Amino acid sequence: MSQFQRFLAKRIGIAAALTLVAVTIIFFTLRLLPGSPFTQLVASGNLSEQQVAEILSLYGLNQPLHEQYLIYLQNLLTFQFGYSIRQTRPVWEILGPKLFNTLILLVPALVTTAVLSTLLGMYAGWNRGSWLETGSIVTTTFLRSTPVFITALLFIIVFSYTLDLVPAFGMREITASPDGFAATYLSVDFLHHYLLPFTVAVLYYSGDFLLLARNGVVEQKGSEFLKLHKAKGLSETEQLLRTGRNSLLPVLTYFALRLGMIFQGLILLEVVFGWPGIGRQLVTSISQQDFPVVQAAVFLMALAVIVMNLVADVLSAYFDPAVTAGGGS
Amino acid sequence: MSVDSVEPVRSWVRSGADRIASSLRFVVGDTPAAVGLVVLVTFAFLGVFGPAIAPHDPIRYSVQTGQGAIARLQSPTLAAPFGTTAYGKDVFSQFLAGARPTFVVGLFGGVATGGVGFLVGLVAGYFGGTVDEVLMRLTDLTFSLPFMPMALLLLTFVQPNIWVITAIVAAFLWKMPARVIRSEVLSVSERTFVRSAKASGAGHLRTMFVHVAPNVLPIAFLYTAYGVAWSIAAQASLAFLGFGDPTTTSWGRMLRQVFASGSIRVAWWWVIPPAVGIAAVTTSVFLIGRAYEEVINPEISEQSQ
Repeated sequence: MSQFQRFLAKRIGIAAALTLVAVTIIFFTLRLLPGSPFTQLVASGNLSEQQVAEILSLYGLNQPLHEQYLIYLQNLLTFQFGYSIRQTRPVWEILGPKLFNTLILLVPALVTTAVLSTLLGMYAGWNRGSWLETGSIVTTTFLRSTPVFITALLFIIVFSYTLDLVPAFGMREITASPDGFAATYLSVDFLHHYLLPFTVAVLYYSGDFLLLARNGVVEQKGSEFLKLHKAKGLSETEQLLRTGRNSLLPVLTYFALRLGMIFQGLILLEVVFGWPGIGRQLVTSISQQDFPVVQAAVFLMALAVIVMNLVADVLSAYFDPAVTAGGGS
Repeated sequence: MSVDSVEPVRSWVRSGADRIASSLRFVVGDTPAAVGLVVLVTFAFLGVFGPAIAPHDPIRYSVQTGQGAIARLQSPTLAAPFGTTAYGKDVFSQFLAGARPTFVVGLFGGVATGGVGFLVGLVAGYFGGTVDEVLMRLTDLTFSLPFMPMALLLLTFVQPNIWVITAIVAAFLWKMPARVIRSEVLSVSERTFVRSAKASGAGHLRTMFVHVAPNVLPIAFLYTAYGVAWSIAAQASLAFLGFGDPTTTSWGRMLRQVFASGSIRVAWWWVIPPAVGIAAVTTSVFLIGRAYEEVINPEISEQSQ
């Protein structure tokens, strides 16, 4: 096995172990919650003992804890998340569309901001000390350090309630009852609802990319490598592009990490905008104690982080062999 | 105690003080950071004295109109300079009193985050090997357990109060400083003075705290400051989702009430004070942190023109 393969095997092993530990913690945290969602149902006295027993066995709750745990692990491996308690339909049927709604909002936002703010950051770093550098740093620092729901609230007040340009809530008009993919996502109504949360997400993510790209360029200014390019008579733009290319690795790995945190990072954004994504569903399900849904949602969030962390590690190891040589821990 | 054992401690303190003084000077020279410092000092003042200088009780007192009715959703007037809430409460008093929980969680959450992260990073980097492996897998685990969902889960069965929230924040966020400090410790440990200290028979504890720690303290300070901002943001976010301390007024809780009551459509005076309060404080911390980072990160500061 080459060094890289060994590194890869080790990383994948760690990721698998982490997943196991994470789902175990989620499972037991939920089981420790006082009172199952059925307590109320049973206490209402409207069900016969036999009905109660049937419901419990339907959800596997009549088995000893370790059996429940094993079934749970087995089900997760096959992405069988069981049935929602509140909605009596498969968890996946509930979460699938929500997952998609989150992705369709945040992936384009992340890509947009990665491209735009990296370019802006490179330019800012190149023009060190300019008003543009200070201005862009202060603005993006504000955007990334302020909790996202505050930016969202301020934007809603300005663009929805004051200027009345875009709707403040939801993904479609309440009266719209779209059928199928195209009708749901390819309409002016959808776009109209999309603009504000998309913009806030782009702005929220911008700070880290901008600073990474800017620091990368600043670090390389005055390096031997750049002096060589200057001596070769390359134009300013060409020099900047070459410098930028060298500092792209941190941006790339950071992009992977951010992608991993995509489901959990902007729960509050979804809540404020009433966006029917997985984060908002999680908050609703927690308050309803619908723990098959909670369990599945948290599992998906953890899995995304673990997988993308792995990807980030592998990316930097692949492009920067010094990482693997050091054992890569 | 022999002179020999006191001397490193003395120089430790002296160099620490010098470093703080010089970075303060730098921070003041950087306009955004200087503005941030003013904001933070104001915030700390509000955190300590806010509830005392609030003209009314934030929850019990209701503003009344000339006719004696409760003044609901009133825009700013002389009697209520920041207007009133949908329940007739004085927004100005709530703003002043709400600074305290925000401040307490920020301060203690930040110190705990920085402190735990510092210790974990120091021990992992210093001992290396199995110790390092175990501690780093533990940080990986806290990285993969999503913070917000886990915090929400925990807060459904623990009655939220500011100390529980502080503890949850610290339990999840120490991983950031831990990683950075570990890698810093790794590079410091290779330097000659650490090796010679070890070779001359200094114990682990002594080498770790007297020779290695001072060199990573600036980063620990930086991440403690960032920890303050993360804690404030986390506290506000949890309170906004309804998982805050239900007995006290905090900025996050004010925002929850204005949002949940639907008054956000009209009552801008109820939204702006807490929103700007939180945004100003978290931004200030990061602006100061960034300026400070340029002082302690030679790669950025030395190669600039």
